[in-house]
Amino acid sequence: MNNKVEYWVKIPIGPIHPALEEPEKFIITLDGERIINVDVKLGYNLRGLEWIAMRRNWIQVLYLAERICGICSFSHNHTYARAVEEMAGIKVPERAEYIRVIIGELERIHSHLLNLGVVAHTIGYDTVLHLSWLAREKVMDILEDIGGNRVNYAGNMIGGVRRDIKERHKRAILDMIYYYRQEVMPKVEEVFLYDPTVEARLRDSGVIPKRIAIEYSAQGPTARGSGIKKDVRYNEKLGVYPDLGVKPVTPKEFTGVIKGDVFDRMVVRVGELWQSMEIIERALDQMPEGKIKAFPKDNMIIFKLKKAEGEGIGRYEAPRGEVIHYVRAEPGRDGPAKWKMREPTFPNLFAVARALVGEQLADVPVAIASIDPCLSCTDRVVVIDAETGKMRILTEVDLLKESIKKTKEINPNIKAKPERIGIGRCVL
Amino acid sequence: MTPEEFAERIKAKFEDAEIKITENKLPHPRRRIWIEVSREKFKDLVKVLKEIDPTAQFSIIIAEDRGDKLTAKYHWEMFWEQGESLSVVVGTSCPKDDPVLPTISDIFPSTLPYEREIQEFLGIKYEGIPDPRRLFLPDDFPEGIYPLRLDETGITPEMVKNAGHPYRVWKEKKGVKK
Repeated sequence: MNNKVEYWVKIPIGPIHPALEEPEKFIITLDGERIINVDVKLGYNLRGLEWIAMRRNWIQVLYLAERICGICSFSHNHTYARAVEEMAGIKVPERAEYIRVIIGELERIHSHLLNLGVVAHTIGYDTVLHLSWLAREKVMDILEDIGGNRVNYAGNMIGGVRRDIKERHKRAILDMIYYYRQEVMPKVEEVFLYDPTVEARLRDSGVIPKRIAIEYSAQGPTARGSGIKKDVRYNEKLGVYPDLGVKPVTPKEFTGVIKGDVFDRMVVRVGELWQSMEIIERALDQMPEGKIKAFPKDNMIIFKLKKAEGEGIGRYEAPRGEVIHYVRAEPGRDGPAKWKMREPTFPNLFAVARALVGEQLADVPVAIASIDPCLSCTDRVVVIDAETGKMRILTEVDLLKESIKKTKEINPNIKAKPERIGIGRCVL
Repeated sequence: MTPEEFAERIKAKFEDAEIKITENKLPHPRRRIWIEVSREKFKDLVKVLKEIDPTAQFSIIIAEDRGDKLTAKYHWEMFWEQGESLSVVVGTSCPKDDPVLPTISDIFPSTLPYEREIQEFLGIKYEGIPDPRRLFLPDDFPEGIYPLRLDETGITPEMVKNAGHPYRVWKEKKGVKK
């Protein structure tokens, strides 16, 4: 035991990186090439949102909730609005529920395309990154057309939505779905389901077995990749989702087996792209006419909620997993007495930290990228030699070099350059 | 299992637990179970939850400062394999001058990071927590200050110490003023 300790190396990855919306530090202990322990340290970007929210009114918190994350910008204020509606007993018009479904699924498409590109980049497939992000532009344009912004489109209001989906949006969305089905999806499937190099690189890396996923409460594609048939849209009977036939997607429908590795998580994302397009088509088809807000004027919301008392929980399946918001109201207050939220990366981080034990250092970027917090663009790595106490600093490029070297051993034809491209989950 | 059946099953074992079932006004009605229990009975109730559904998914701890007491609400999603799941919120509380709650990270291991978070933000001491280190706050944050308590006064200037910044260390060594 004592002799062994001298060869262990501790590697902190992180925490500071400009491209992460949530800087995290992974302290990885290595025994040779194998990882024997992973520790997570959070809080480098703590903004104290819960404390700020106590000083704001109900509608201002709606916009604060949107600023939690740039990519899930519809998910967070959607969930917050649902929590407030449950607390105060507000009934949302049916057309508004359909618009929420459509914008939410458009957001899921762009988030999954982004993550597929990021994972391809970490194993050296830069062309896939550029092409999938090019395809993503199409859905971003439509979100811009509907909401006025590429991100933070502020679509939600308590008791409805702020923007209607007009006839021209409907045509543009159907055109986009046609383009994706014909042009993008066959190529995405070719790369992520049938390419031998990608399969060899992603199979059996970062394995989270089903038992571990339940134990660590993994959420979203991370959980479904491990075979947990759990989807908040389906389990919670959320909004009008039960009318649209939503079901949890597991890799079993595509590959026949469930292993819970990075490959399976990617397969789930590909499957959810198909599912999202189907849901949008059905929603556009079934969407009734009518009003889109429960309150015609915004100040009526604060007037009503000032008298409300009670607590409510809102849950929603964001592209990365379950988002949960809690609000409590006291009579006579303009804003929430308590607001608490949790985003899906939090439990997934601890699940993937557990999954990394026993893997190689070269698999760290792809395993962490596969849960979608995008830590693959790690800025720097400090390698501390436990024996001599010497420190050497690895940059993101060095870590990517390791990963690409492993891909080259499988397929020597890869011509990727380990370049720092500054992949941004943070777009603020 | 319907929410009523579940509530009866809990009520049979824990007589002093307050149980209420709420329903929201979505197009598809959705019911949620809110249970309130004393901190002595809390751990036993969590054990019963695990017995009823071993695959129950833990979601969040909502901890709050309510004046003279600190409350914590735990959310579970149960029976998610069977389609519509059961959403259960179990709440407990402790007085502010004796802020101790039992840890449940031995029953549901995924609660550990949330317990660590609440321990540093609200000062609830978790009895028997296997890993009491800080998660979010920096390691040199003063002891005994809990940022989310409502009567918190903040950090006084005397508590601010040199955080080990190289420039400050250099200045102190050289005796440079300002």
